Amino acid sequence: MTRYLLSRTGQAALVLWAAFTASYVLLQLLPGDSILIKFQNPELGLSPQQIAEIRTYYGTGSPIFEYVQTLLGFLTGRFGYSIDTGTPVIERLAEALPETVRLASAAFLVAVLIAVVIAFAASYSRTSWLRGALLSVPSLFISVPAFWLGILLIQVFSFRLKLVPVIGGSDVQQLILPVLTLAVPISAPIAQVLARSIDQVYAQPFVPVIAAKGATRWWILWRHVARNAVLPTLTVAGLMLGELIAGSVVTETVFGRAGVGRLTEQAVNAQDTPVMLAVVVLAAAVFVLVNLVVDVLFPILDPRLKAAL
Amino acid sequence: MAPSRPLFAAVMLTTVGLLGACGGGGATGTTQGDGKPVYGGTLTYLEHQPPTCLYLPAAGFYPNGGILNQITDKLTWQNPETLKIEPWIATKWEVNANATEYTFHLRDGVTFSDGSPLDASAVAANFDVYGLGNPKLKLPVAEFVNNYERSEIIDTKTVRFHFKKSSPGFLQGTSVIGAGLVSKKSISLPYEQQCQLKNVIGSGPFTVKSQVVDKEVDLVARKDYNWAPPSSKHQGRAYLDEIKIIVTPEDNVRVGALTSGQADMVRYVQAYDEKTVKDAGFQIYAEPTRGVNNGLYLRPTNSILKDPDVRRALQAGTNATEVVDTLFTESYPVATSVLSHLAQGYVDLSKELAYDPAKANALLDKAGWSRGADGVRVKDGRRLELGVFVSGPQPLSKQTLELVAQQWAKLGVKLDIRPADAGTQAVDIKNAEKTGIQHGMVGRADQDVIKSHFHSQNRDVILHDDAKLDRILEEESAEPDVTKRNAKVAEIQRYVIEQGYAIPLFEEPQVYGAAPHVQGVAFEAVARPWFYSVWKSQQ
Repeated sequence: MTRYLLSRTGQAALVLWAAFTASYVLLQLLPGDSILIKFQNPELGLSPQQIAEIRTYYGTGSPIFEYVQTLLGFLTGRFGYSIDTGTPVIERLAEALPETVRLASAAFLVAVLIAVVIAFAASYSRTSWLRGALLSVPSLFISVPAFWLGILLIQVFSFRLKLVPVIGGSDVQQLILPVLTLAVPISAPIAQVLARSIDQVYAQPFVPVIAAKGATRWWILWRHVARNAVLPTLTVAGLMLGELIAGSVVTETVFGRAGVGRLTEQAVNAQDTPVMLAVVVLAAAVFVLVNLVVDVLFPILDPRLKAAL
Repeated sequence: MAPSRPLFAAVMLTTVGLLGACGGGGATGTTQGDGKPVYGGTLTYLEHQPPTCLYLPAAGFYPNGGILNQITDKLTWQNPETLKIEPWIATKWEVNANATEYTFHLRDGVTFSDGSPLDASAVAANFDVYGLGNPKLKLPVAEFVNNYERSEIIDTKTVRFHFKKSSPGFLQGTSVIGAGLVSKKSISLPYEQQCQLKNVIGSGPFTVKSQVVDKEVDLVARKDYNWAPPSSKHQGRAYLDEIKIIVTPEDNVRVGALTSGQADMVRYVQAYDEKTVKDAGFQIYAEPTRGVNNGLYLRPTNSILKDPDVRRALQAGTNATEVVDTLFTESYPVATSVLSHLAQGYVDLSKELAYDPAKANALLDKAGWSRGADGVRVKDGRRLELGVFVSGPQPLSKQTLELVAQQWAKLGVKLDIRPADAGTQAVDIKNAEKTGIQHGMVGRADQDVIKSHFHSQNRDVILHDDAKLDRILEEESAEPDVTKRNAKVAEIQRYVIEQGYAIPLFEEPQVYGAAPHVQGVAFEAVARPWFYSVWKSQQ
């Protein structure tokens, strides 16, 4: 187990380094830079010479040196300064992160809930048309663009029915619609995989045996089938984290929430390299961490895997 | 535009006494609809974009100006109706004959919100930075100050500014949004720190209560504020208690929040949403920006556009009326010159700008561009193809350019529209060969606006090498006599149009929407909201 953990952690570190390096190189290759974007603003009336002076002031050494310096900074928790606002990147992340964590975690829980309800209802129902209808819901959900859904929810629930305000309102009120917007597309693949795994487990010989012993349908589904079907679902759920991060960019923009998604969008617009780099590394770190957790959970959920380690 | 505020000055003291007595009623019978302002309440104002750097000279960006206009005062007040410069923090001033020396006498008892006095030395410190910049603190020179030499403190209430040459634009320059006065402590901070709202200490009717970066700015009225421009009917503290400025990037969320009663006022109502807002019984404020019109600016340093006939052909072949009729509303008047008809020194050049495709085709034929197989004109193996970037700040810029591209396609000209992407745009927009055309505008209520736009040492949107253009712009900017200066502005407009440097499309307004209960809405001369005299007739 220890060896397994160590090797997984090593892999995780490698992935993080690769993500850092790849994004660093790509950001360097982009045309233009944040200093140009920021100071070329005609309201400031700066001449090209003055912009060149400012660039010298900010300092640009040799690329390799810069890379090593940035990498060392990241390793010691110094992410540098946002060129756009002049504040430390870590401060901007610290401001934005709680908003996104609240949104993403609530959305994830709601997504799982929706997925479980759909998959269970489909598996439990005996009417084939109802089952068919339920199983087609995920395909519908995944094809709904997040920005469209967000605007639709706002129009209907906030502006028409006046149930939840989008402007002002308590923290909880402000979460309801964005959470739904983000949860719906994420619930879809989870529901699909869960429903299919349940079907596969049902096809296994042990199910008729339990049924023959007199277990109720609900007992079989809940105690035996679902438990076995949860493994592939967990993998998909881990992968959905990427969708959560991507979806939060759109959701936060539509709902005007100041989270990591909005921060990313603005950093991209201003080509604020230090912020973008930190966001990429942060996203990669979360991704790696969640997958690590999923990998560690596997042997706990399925004792057969423990033997393989 | 503004609702009447009769008798207000007389009853102000009584009304102050009623402060806190919410719900109206009261001894003076302050009920909804009688037009008498009430104190109190919070204005929820939705912004389209988050503010960027709040260093005062960068206040021209509307999200910045919307905040800074509430928390800072200026030396002088430009009356938005007459465009005359009136007293504010400066009670009076003297200008010498050739406009190289300006002496301002300051109002007594004005303080910044940190308690420090707004006196001659604070004003001098502000304008030394705006006029000269500060390389050590990375503070750039402000666009609205030209030829600045030095300041001179005569006494605590009198300050004099010296200029290297005639600078008649300076008086108006002291009234613009970027000339907001900040405390000595604020102005001596490095650029990065002056960019942050918490460091901007002004003397305005509101102060910053709290800020959630990129999301919300809450302003609160300053109770001891007592130095509004003398020409303002309202004096003393602001009517509102608080202003919540909330960033809401999505267009239809802003408009929907307004019409559903979740917000009181919004900035940037798109042309296609104006009807929705009006139909709901709400008010649209389309405020003119009084400067260089929204238009296409052609770069003579581009190898195709260096031929004046090609530029004139594109000018004649562009149908601005169709652009406005198709995409915009009556809030967007069709341009009749390079400048807005409300700009100082404006001349009507609509005849010169008449849409004439036959003339356009003839000019292109004459210039040696003949139609190729796919309809695009060719000369010496080169296609008549020009690049332009979508202009992020301009309303419906992409749609505008697409419509112009259709019009030009009929002439055999291909307009290559590139998306506004910060990186590539920042590099290529200064490259006349890649980006032959610029789409933009600039608002400012002074004759110098045209110099800002065209002079090779200012914004230089057309990246020109035309010494004559620079010369007449400089003459305009150094002409102390108003009549002569306006004549110079007229000459410049004729020259720019005649040379085909500009294809003016429409007079770009700032369009706001407000609920019917929002009263006393006012704007500075270039359409930034001024919430000082705003009040809500119902809560």
